[in-house]
Amino acid sequence: MQEHREHPVRLVVEDNLRRNRLTVFLRLILAIPHLIWIILWTIAVIFAAIANWIATLVTGTPPAGIHRFMCRYIRYSVHLGAYIHLVANSYPGFVGEEGEYPVDVRLPGPEPQARWKTFFRLFLALPALLLSSALGGAGGPTYGGGSSRSGSRYSVGGSGFLTAAVAVLGWFASLVLGRMPKGLRDAGAYGIGYNAQGLAYLLLVTERYPNADPTELLEDVERPPQHVVHLIGDPEDLRRSRLTVFFRVLLAIPHLIWLVLWTVAAVVVGIISWFATLITGTPPASLHAFLSRFVRYSLHVNAFLYLAANPFPGFVGEPGSYPLDLALPGPERQNRWITAFRIVLAVPAWIVNVGLAFALVVAAIYTWFVALVRGVAPWGLRNLMAYALRYGAQLNAYLYLITDAYPHASPLEGAGEAQRPVDEEQ
Amino acid sequence: MSRVTAPRALALAALAGAWATASWFLWQSRVPGSLHLPRLDEQDYFSAAQLRASASFSRIELLFWVLGIVVQVVVLALYAWRGHRFMGESAAGPLGTGMLLGMLGFAILWLAQLPISVLDLWWQRRHDLVTLGYADYLFQGWFALGGEFAFLCLALAIVMGFAQLLGDHWWLPAAPIFIGLALLFAFVYPYLTPTHRLEDPQLRAAAQRFEKIEHVEHTPVVVQNMRDITSMPNAEAMGLGPSRRVVLWDTLVDGPFSNRQLEVVVAHELGHLSRDHIWKSLGWYALFAFPGAYLIARAARRRGGLARPEAVPLSLLVLVVLSLLASPVENVITRHMEAEADWMSLRTTQDPVAAKQLFRRFVPTTLSEPDPNTFEYLVRETHPTIMQRIAMADAYATSAAQSP
Repeated sequence: MQEHREHPVRLVVEDNLRRNRLTVFLRLILAIPHLIWIILWTIAVIFAAIANWIATLVTGTPPAGIHRFMCRYIRYSVHLGAYIHLVANSYPGFVGEEGEYPVDVRLPGPEPQARWKTFFRLFLALPALLLSSALGGAGGPTYGGGSSRSGSRYSVGGSGFLTAAVAVLGWFASLVLGRMPKGLRDAGAYGIGYNAQGLAYLLLVTERYPNADPTELLEDVERPPQHVVHLIGDPEDLRRSRLTVFFRVLLAIPHLIWLVLWTVAAVVVGIISWFATLITGTPPASLHAFLSRFVRYSLHVNAFLYLAANPFPGFVGEPGSYPLDLALPGPERQNRWITAFRIVLAVPAWIVNVGLAFALVVAAIYTWFVALVRGVAPWGLRNLMAYALRYGAQLNAYLYLITDAYPHASPLEGAGEAQRPVDEEQ
Repeated sequence: MSRVTAPRALALAALAGAWATASWFLWQSRVPGSLHLPRLDEQDYFSAAQLRASASFSRIELLFWVLGIVVQVVVLALYAWRGHRFMGESAAGPLGTGMLLGMLGFAILWLAQLPISVLDLWWQRRHDLVTLGYADYLFQGWFALGGEFAFLCLALAIVMGFAQLLGDHWWLPAAPIFIGLALLFAFVYPYLTPTHRLEDPQLRAAAQRFEKIEHVEHTPVVVQNMRDITSMPNAEAMGLGPSRRVVLWDTLVDGPFSNRQLEVVVAHELGHLSRDHIWKSLGWYALFAFPGAYLIARAARRRGGLARPEAVPLSLLVLVVLSLLASPVENVITRHMEAEADWMSLRTTQDPVAAKQLFRRFVPTTLSEPDPNTFEYLVRETHPTIMQRIAMADAYATSAAQSP
């Protein structure tokens, strides 16, 4: 294992979560000049990128002038992305000024780059751009999630699934509260940060591949308090058996069948538990235990299926039986209002979950290839998958009345400081 | 013989007697015992070129088959030896771990046999017998493996569940459950097979006529699209009770066969239903399921019994070896049933000429050897040979001519 090197493209978040209701309400209209400007800028960047590519191939280092131009473009796309997706409040400048915006990006100076990596940069960047399209960011060229007649395409000022969900939900929340929920802000910042790393890689600002690890990407951001439903287990369990990786989807078939059957039972039990909780204020212990097992089992199966963990899980959701496990609270008193409107209240979290689910699938596909070759899962992708699975489990726990604590969208929820040194990225 | 073993020996003798009696009933056939099939020379019926083509094709097919069997046994033997090491990849209990080991065994086997099956596909495509592309073949194989995994896990859940309750006697309740599952599958299978209506009014009318003669009225005769996969003609009778039907492949209906020849096929398949061959097949399966399950239970004892996951790899090997050993016997049984269906068809259509023409046409359309060697006949032939079928048509013609 190599010594860990900090990623040279780092997101700086100094946003205080406060939002001006008027500018939030008019956010997209206010952003129109920026959207026009970034289209023009992107056209210029395409030509500059070609020149940069040729120059870097010849000299081995990007020319300083073009490098500065690219850095400004990336910084500007981060500012604009943060503004559009409500990750920041203030109106951004037009030239990508460094250190002037509450959501900023630190970029490296021009450094020598391996010529073969430069030569194949566009192809090498494709997986990161696809993941970026799942996570988000805007302002720069984004690999389009939408489809045209010719299939997927690059678009300017596009938006990832996750950041789009964050923006829509954040818009409503900010209008009502006058502040952006921290979970949504962190999730949006994560998407924008990953997009910035992808752009920096594509535009030869750095030859370091984007790192999907949310803990490292948002290293300087304050951690939220731990949710009652959180991941436990062994996060360093990166070893993957190549044979079980190759046949992972097929090996999961008995679990998927069992999960479908269990889901039918869980829905029925959940309805009964809903009535009971509404009347008594507390879910009955036996129903709570059954549903807790279901939620935990669901996490185990998904962790196995999506390669976030290695071993074949058990069939009963036994606590402590799996390396990626779930801490769940006991039956506690719950707010009756929250219980009564539980399904309606869960809709925003469900939307975020859909955004994360797309990222989860993309990350799992990449992990499949990497694990098949190297026998280990990449640390960054593993943490991204753990984030998506944790959020899904929190949503399940909320829906099935295990807790009335709302799912927390921050990728930093439950995370310690930036974790262990690793060389794997993406 | 000691006092302890005498009752056991008596019980065993009683069971063997019951087994033999049941098999005698299942063996009953409408084909006259006195029927003498003349020994025919294939060269009188097929050109030298046809015989050369079918022999050359079949030789390589047999080679692939033997290779496949060798790989199967070797891989499963190695897996029985070392497969328990994969237990470390499971966080499940004994049952879940057993399922994982079972699925991994099949997965490794699929991977090991893949080169041979791809070569076989190439060989069949080269002879225009298969139209399926390589990518489609791999994807279909992949998904079929998923189906196998699902069934395997169900089977292991049953076996290991009973083994945890009853120890080595798991086979006593498990065997009837497997027979029940086979029954269920035989009933459901027709509903899972996509088919469409038989368009030819003449053939439909003939089918209705034959259904009356063979006392299987209201049996649907339908067509299955297979042209995207193969060019080989085929038909099958399937289902039980309300689900029973005759399925003709479109490669047969739209193939180089006259209506008289197709009528022979329809009557043959109705003959299967008329003589309850699907029920009888289930009966035979039941007769083999009990001793088979018992032998697996015996073998699994060497690894602590099937309640323990480490016994699963060995059990897979035993299951496959037993199936291989039983296949010549199974072939005898299926050939016996097919011969009876041929006889029923001849009696129903009273058209031995069309039957002979049909059988002769099978050689260029399927590249089957009309008279394969004894080894191939014993281990691979599920139907009477083409020469035997022609001989039966001749024998029927002779007996019909002699009867008043």
